[in-house]
Amino acid sequence: MRIRPYLFLLTALVLLNSSPRMFRSAAFTINAWWTPGSGEVIRATIAYDNQYGSLTMLNTSGDVQTKGHAFFEPIGTNGRACVTCHQPADGMSISVETIRDRWRVTNGTDPLFAAVDGKNCPDLPDGYPKSHSLLLDRGLIRVSLPWPPKRPDGSAVKPEFTIEVVRDPTGCNNSSVYGLNSPSPAVSVYRRPRPAANLKYVTADGFGVGRFIAKNGQPAERDPETGKLVQMNMMADAREVSLRSQARSAAGGHLQLKGALTETQLEQIIAFENQVYAAQSSHHEAGDLTESGGPLALGPAAMAQGRTGVLGNNITNFVFPMGDKWKILSRTGNAERDAQSAFRESVARGHDVFFFRTFWIKDAMHLNTVGLGNPVKRTCSTCHGMHMTGMDTANGWMDVGTTNLPWAREAPVSPWSSETTDLPLFKLTCNNAVAPHPFLGRVIYTQDPGRALISGKCNDIGTIVMQQFRGLAARAPYFSNGSALNLRELVDFYDRRFNIQLSEQERQDLVNFLSTL
Amino acid sequence: MKNNIARIALFVTLLMTLPRQGNSQEAQRKNFLSCPVVQDTKTVPCWLSEYKGELYYLGIQTDISAEFHPPYLGHKVLVEGIVSDEPRICGGVVLKPVVVSPMPEPDSSCNTILPAVDKYTVPFAPRPPGPSGGTLAFQAPRRAPAAEQASTGPREFSIYYDFDQPVTGRHAAVLSQIVDYAEKIEAKRIVVTSSPGATKLTDGNLLTEQSGIAEARADEITQLLKRAGLVKVDFQIASRREAEPADGNEDWRSRRTVVRVEP
Repeated sequence: MRIRPYLFLLTALVLLNSSPRMFRSAAFTINAWWTPGSGEVIRATIAYDNQYGSLTMLNTSGDVQTKGHAFFEPIGTNGRACVTCHQPADGMSISVETIRDRWRVTNGTDPLFAAVDGKNCPDLPDGYPKSHSLLLDRGLIRVSLPWPPKRPDGSAVKPEFTIEVVRDPTGCNNSSVYGLNSPSPAVSVYRRPRPAANLKYVTADGFGVGRFIAKNGQPAERDPETGKLVQMNMMADAREVSLRSQARSAAGGHLQLKGALTETQLEQIIAFENQVYAAQSSHHEAGDLTESGGPLALGPAAMAQGRTGVLGNNITNFVFPMGDKWKILSRTGNAERDAQSAFRESVARGHDVFFFRTFWIKDAMHLNTVGLGNPVKRTCSTCHGMHMTGMDTANGWMDVGTTNLPWAREAPVSPWSSETTDLPLFKLTCNNAVAPHPFLGRVIYTQDPGRALISGKCNDIGTIVMQQFRGLAARAPYFSNGSALNLRELVDFYDRRFNIQLSEQERQDLVNFLSTL
Repeated sequence: MKNNIARIALFVTLLMTLPRQGNSQEAQRKNFLSCPVVQDTKTVPCWLSEYKGELYYLGIQTDISAEFHPPYLGHKVLVEGIVSDEPRICGGVVLKPVVVSPMPEPDSSCNTILPAVDKYTVPFAPRPPGPSGGTLAFQAPRRAPAAEQASTGPREFSIYYDFDQPVTGRHAAVLSQIVDYAEKIEAKRIVVTSSPGATKLTDGNLLTEQSGIAEARADEITQLLKRAGLVKVDFQIASRREAEPADGNEDWRSRRTVVRVEP
């Protein structure tokens, strides 16, 4: 009998210890993990702690009843729901921290680790972290794409290149069941789940969206259900034309749903996705990011109210309208307040580095080739120009070298290094009937061919659709292949890639700025 | 008699002058293949190219609304321009008008970025190297008069290419115009005619596009228009095997596809 209080305390400690991020809007803290089928209500506004402060998820339609809701129920056959990989606490994506936590708490039995795409390859042995290393190390989900590709209307694409598997640590691309030479030839690539929030920006058309894509002259896709041109900014390779088509394929693939989503389920999913916003709302060092008179860009309400399809690479709209209030703040003599002021000034400087700091952008496919020249002296916001998100307003795939060699992060190969990677490596050879890739030639090595697996175009090899910048603090790692484990590595990648020569202060300012979005 | 002599003298003078003017204009044409060079400035960079010891100014960096699209370091550039009498810019003799075409094959020797120096400025730059003031650098071309826009008859659209290149992003606008017009007049037939290009260089050499490129371009245009929705239209495809004779005068016009949209 005397042991009961201790058992209660022990249970509480285990709970706290197993979930580093906590839902803190309730009177007590609970695990932030949202379990499919839990049937709980998601409040209209809910804040989750993360390493930088907290992120707030805003449901503009009010409290969301998740019982019976297709986004939250395990409607497939593997126990997953949409929410499995689009966790509210993680800005509607999923961080590698959360993934590792689920492995630890469930001993790898959570449906998140389903063999279909939660393993490096479905036929790898159960229960071993090694079988899930790409998910556990980099937060990557396996994406199997048919080869050669087909257009959304089902017509065949004649690829401009051949593809060979150079490195296949997962065994999936050489597999007789899942690989390029299987009865249903497919390429397995590994990508981060994208945030399922702030989607009005991702799906809106506006500046730069027309019948033909201004980056390559190819016809823009249309939504076959509405006949409307689409922005082609959804997914890393823009393969889905609408939230509906994305929901259908995700349900069939990731959730292993037998049959099709019903119209009611589709409507539930789309309605939820169209009303949910997520952004960092408070910061350990910057304080309340949404306080009255503060930067207009910050917080989830700003995202809900923002204009869509607007080019922000100008001083009338701004990508992230931060205002001037944080640029120079007076000191009070109060150490805590002054530290906050200093940090806010750093955030403002970081914004200015993002927006105004020029450097030579060179050899970036679908940026240097769109009429700006190679190189072009511009800033981060040249590419990351969409108002409020930092995505591309136009059809947004580009190659800045996150997956293509020689810029992509590779493990050093030497007698003195034990580091390895489980990412595949492909050799793509553009055929002689087309011009060589202007910056990479005819033979290109890549970890992920990106858009080229959909379009079949040589010039699309390694091009990846830009992601939104919001909720970054809650969803490391970054880039489609998870190659930047934190914001500093993200900044360092760009500095290395474009020889920006950022000072230590500029790097830290950029990290601080990004951590508030 | 005196008047007649005077007229004859004037005629002879004119005859003597005309060829000179022609030669002079020809001498002002510069068609050459060379590396592009970037000359940085305090604002946007200038694009230059060197030919036979002379530096030529091609244009400046602006944005996608510009008529001048800068070439690529890492590639040679085909320059087709006329020497203007404007003062030098960024140290280069100004070519205006000028058409530049990045060559497809990479050339790592083309890698020169000259650092900014005080003596070179571009005060006429319509936008800075960073964010704009809220508008693109150049206004969209004025639309044709309303009467012409209202036309419902056959209309031809010309698509000009970079040397040895297929459709690129810069063609998105004209391709959209073709589809818009075809839909507007409910086109029954579209004739796609492509020609390979050739440019007579200033050194007398002839630069010709690869064989088969006209067929490839005609086929590409047809496929793109079909994919953009013109599926019920009867397409007729024609392509020339040989390039038109090049004389060094606006030879870039030979690299083209003409799309004739008919009701």
